[in-house]
Amino acid sequence: MIAAIIRKEFVSTLRDGRLWILGIVLLAIFLGFFLASTHELKQMRQEKHSVGMTAKEQWNTQSVKNPHSAAHYGIYVFKPDLPSAALDPGLRPFVGQSLWLEPHKRNLTRFSPSTDQILANRFGQATTSFVLYALLPLMIVALTFNSVSQERERGTLRMLHSLGIAARSLVFGKLLGLLAAFMLVLSPALLIALLLLGQNFSLGPDDVSRLLASFLMFLIYYTIFAAVSIAASAFFRTSRVALFCLLAFWLASVFIAPRLGAVTAETLSPNPTASRFWEAIKTDIAQGLEGDGTHEQRAQAFEAQVLREYGVNRKEDLPVGFVSLNRQHNDGYSVRVHELHFDRLRDNFAVQQHLTHLASWLGPSIAIRSLSMAMAGMDLAHQRDFEDAAEEYRHYFIDLTEDWDRERSHGTERNAKGQESDWRSVKAFEYQAPKIEFALKAALLDLMVLMGWLFAALMLLTLSANRLTP
Amino acid sequence: MNTSSLVLEARNLVVNYKQHRAIDALNLRVPKGCVYALLGGNGAGKSTTISTFLTFNRPNAGQVLIEGRSPHEHPDLVRDKVAYLPENVALYELMSGLENLNFFCALAGIHLSREQASQLLSDSGLQADAHVKRVAAYSKGMRQKVGLAIASAKHASAMLLDEPTSGLDPSAANDFAQRIRAAADSGVAVLMATHDLFNAKQVADRIGIMKAGRLVEEFDAHTVRHDELEQKYLAHARGLA
Repeated sequence: MIAAIIRKEFVSTLRDGRLWILGIVLLAIFLGFFLASTHELKQMRQEKHSVGMTAKEQWNTQSVKNPHSAAHYGIYVFKPDLPSAALDPGLRPFVGQSLWLEPHKRNLTRFSPSTDQILANRFGQATTSFVLYALLPLMIVALTFNSVSQERERGTLRMLHSLGIAARSLVFGKLLGLLAAFMLVLSPALLIALLLLGQNFSLGPDDVSRLLASFLMFLIYYTIFAAVSIAASAFFRTSRVALFCLLAFWLASVFIAPRLGAVTAETLSPNPTASRFWEAIKTDIAQGLEGDGTHEQRAQAFEAQVLREYGVNRKEDLPVGFVSLNRQHNDGYSVRVHELHFDRLRDNFAVQQHLTHLASWLGPSIAIRSLSMAMAGMDLAHQRDFEDAAEEYRHYFIDLTEDWDRERSHGTERNAKGQESDWRSVKAFEYQAPKIEFALKAALLDLMVLMGWLFAALMLLTLSANRLTP
Repeated sequence: MNTSSLVLEARNLVVNYKQHRAIDALNLRVPKGCVYALLGGNGAGKSTTISTFLTFNRPNAGQVLIEGRSPHEHPDLVRDKVAYLPENVALYELMSGLENLNFFCALAGIHLSREQASQLLSDSGLQADAHVKRVAAYSKGMRQKVGLAIASAKHASAMLLDEPTSGLDPSAANDFAQRIRAAADSGVAVLMATHDLFNAKQVADRIGIMKAGRLVEEFDAHTVRHDELEQKYLAHARGLA
């Protein structure tokens, strides 16, 4: 019985002019945005690669100088974007694209694209992901708001009841038939998108897995909207009331919930201001963390320890460069303090991201936004992974220059020198984005919220079927 | 009447819509091969009676029986034994008559070949070139023919017709009446709610007149002339009987 309903819904939906008009318009918009974002991503990847190469070459070709001075020249590193970022730029417009790695200090990412944009764009920018998470659900609402109420209004529901059809079979058949037709209309655009990605980037197995996972998650998201729409259509006596309620649900899920969630998260777990953040780091370095003593006390203790280790009474008599040793010691402490504050800040970002789900009762859009960003590798977790890798690289090249400085000087001298062959021996920063398992683990809560919504939507559909009368 | 030949029966049926009593202690019996016409004005309870057999309503008292069993307790009875034709046969506009027939039959568990479906539509009087046209272009009479084809395909033992000839032109109504008569002659029990006295006299074996939810008079259709039927109907309608 349900197969007949699915087939009928599939055929009827495909013959419905609304699907084609809305479908063609939305798919044209989708492909337009996708082409633009693929082009932008390709350009950005090229720019990042080329600027990264230039920055490394500038590092390599430094003149003969003190290794620590060379370290102060610094190195720019860039977060490489995955091909799936063409579907969802995620946090890219708001977080920095590069990290300036220098001695003594850990930096935040800088040069976010949003700072380069015109004012109008700051009020919201249409992207491929906007079409996927905002406009396509609207199309589903437009197609399904009257799926059952129209049957009641036209009398076909009585005909169906007279044939003893189970209401559950009817509504679930409608859901599956509609989704099948919807996917058929959507599939050319998805295929074109996949071809475009394949043409412009080399897609690895992880990229394909990420795209497939995104596709599945969006399918669940659309199923939720379709199930809620059909349930509303069965629940309300007229199509008009169902449409009003569904538009309210769409607005609440897509536009209100993310803002409400963000405000709630910021209120419950606020971030420190930038000035307070840096000030706290500065204070902790100067005053020391609990039980460590002040900077001066730590410096005196370190000096005494070094003299004891080398069996000399004066710094000037040390067989290695004390200036470098002392700097490494101070930097080590600074790294510890920076790590503490950076982790605290980023942990708070993660807490805030979880807290936004307090508004997820309004709809599943917060969850799909987060999941889409995670699959595109453009969420906070991927950003943090990149920053940690960059920080590790910073330790690597700073330690290397300090080794040269320490080994090529004695006592309190500052005359150690390095040359181009030294600078060239510093390996380039190579970052590999983590695998899909990392993304799924990071987005576990979002996935649970999405699945919770799917369960709720299917329950709603079942309940509406139970009380369906002709 | 042999009770084993009884197909449709209402026993002391009472149906209320909120405070309003739509059917009040209704008793009626429709045996195999009989066309029973329920006459009455708007709100008399004719359609509610049909709806109760179809389980669209639940009785507040009494019961309806299909072949001796309550459809409210055995929901499959409606699907297996009853064919329903409303005043406006509701079909899916974006599908052809053939597709509609196939769809409704599939829901009833009947799978027809294209030839069988086409034959059923032709037997119901729908011209062959209309079989594959979308229903949106059908007249009311054409829709009734598709409805009749669905009913025929089910090989139902009972047909419930709710104002089936309302809005049909005389020729189509006459054609429809003949098909209903043929179905009854093949053993189907037909319960028909109608305003159409001419149609009732033409096709029915028994006639019941309803008023305010009650069956106020019941008689053999063959024993009354057209003018007598009209007088009886008007007398009840005007409260003179």
